[in-house]
Amino acid sequence: MAAASNRIRRARPLLGTFVEIEAAGPAQAEVVGAIDAAFDAVSGVHRLMSFHEPDSDVSRLNRQAFDRPVKVHQWTFDVLKTSIELHRESDGLFNIAVAPILQGMGLLPRHDEDEAEAIAREAIELLEGRMIRFRHRGTKIDLGGIAKGFAVDRALDALRHSGAVTCGLVNAGGDLGAFGAEVQTAHIRHPRHPGRVVCRIEFAGEALASSARRLDPFQSAQSDGSAIVRPDGKPLTNAIDGVTVRAPSCMIADALTKIVMISGADAGSLLELYQASALLITSDSEVRISPDLQSVVHLAA
Amino acid sequence: MTEWIRYTLPVAAIASVASPAYAMEYLSIEEAQKQAFPSASQFTPIQAGRIWKAEAGGRVAGYFIFDRVVGKHLYIDYAVALTPTGAVQKVEILQYRESYGGEIRSPSWLAQFVGKTSTSSLKINGDIRNIAGATLSSTHVTEGVKRILATYGSRLK
Repeated sequence: MAAASNRIRRARPLLGTFVEIEAAGPAQAEVVGAIDAAFDAVSGVHRLMSFHEPDSDVSRLNRQAFDRPVKVHQWTFDVLKTSIELHRESDGLFNIAVAPILQGMGLLPRHDEDEAEAIAREAIELLEGRMIRFRHRGTKIDLGGIAKGFAVDRALDALRHSGAVTCGLVNAGGDLGAFGAEVQTAHIRHPRHPGRVVCRIEFAGEALASSARRLDPFQSAQSDGSAIVRPDGKPLTNAIDGVTVRAPSCMIADALTKIVMISGADAGSLLELYQASALLITSDSEVRISPDLQSVVHLAA
Repeated sequence: MTEWIRYTLPVAAIASVASPAYAMEYLSIEEAQKQAFPSASQFTPIQAGRIWKAEAGGRVAGYFIFDRVVGKHLYIDYAVALTPTGAVQKVEILQYRESYGGEIRSPSWLAQFVGKTSTSSLKINGDIRNIAGATLSSTHVTEGVKRILATYGSRLK
């Protein structure tokens, strides 16, 4: 960012985390306006895709989409379309219909009686006119594995389209996206030792998302339990503690972290398909880095 | 297929030193007031250091409430702007302090924390920046906003 520009950074509680937005441009008031517009975009995604808010598109779908087709916002439609594509490309590993399993584990609240079924393939049907229909009564979706990344992309769009900002960065609780020529640096901490930095990664004009096993923040050496489950409902059995994915969009980076958490280095061809790369940290503190990320990763000595 | 590289972290890189502390200041109370109510000419304290009434042209533009909650370990300062009818207009984080972050962004992050402990709170400024992965702390802010609404939402009108 140019030295003469105004660089401003703000944070608000959204999407169940702190969303931090930073931008720089020649006129301070216009940069503030652009950041406000970017936060508005994030709030919009929050309102549409929250599992918890009764009026969100997601809640309306979960209540009604088996009984009749439900019309959703274009953003929700786009996320569902990408989710279905990722479900297909990952042979079912990425699955937004696992909400009944997460409810059963106590990770999502139950809204009513569930039949824990209907998470199968083709559970969600996209129809003309942004209409969605579920094929099974028990289907419940949760966009928690992809919506945060999508929100980062929309916030970056808002900054870009303001015309007032030369570069910017959005950080939604570990899902980062940047635009502009400036090289950004992210430090990746150790999933079991949050005070430790494993490496730093440089990126510019693209997105970086991270996922880890659910670590108790007060007892972070314990890593039993995860909000990421296999599509059959079984917990992860591999030894991967944390994953970081770099991709052209944050929505794709966010979603791919979940797939790599399950399949590890076997996700290589899927990463290539989405022009993405990954770094993973195993429970015995081994770091694995996909080929095209190696030049920008600097491991801690 | 190309090869992934493997690297085993040295024990020193994961087991030494204490958890670092850091702080990030986004806005002062005064800056946050002006940004929440740009047209306001006057902020009258209703409760010292905590609640202000914002007035523009002799009319109530809204209320500004400063609050603080505990994040993972340390305080998070935030402000809630209420409309004249007591609805939430904006929630803004003013200052964030934690004894460790999520991913931490900064060119010289490691150097900053050499020799620091969780009790020596660190002010980060200039081109040093950070953070992420703070689900628990954000829950406490959300609860704080609900508490403020329950306490003041109807009383201030």
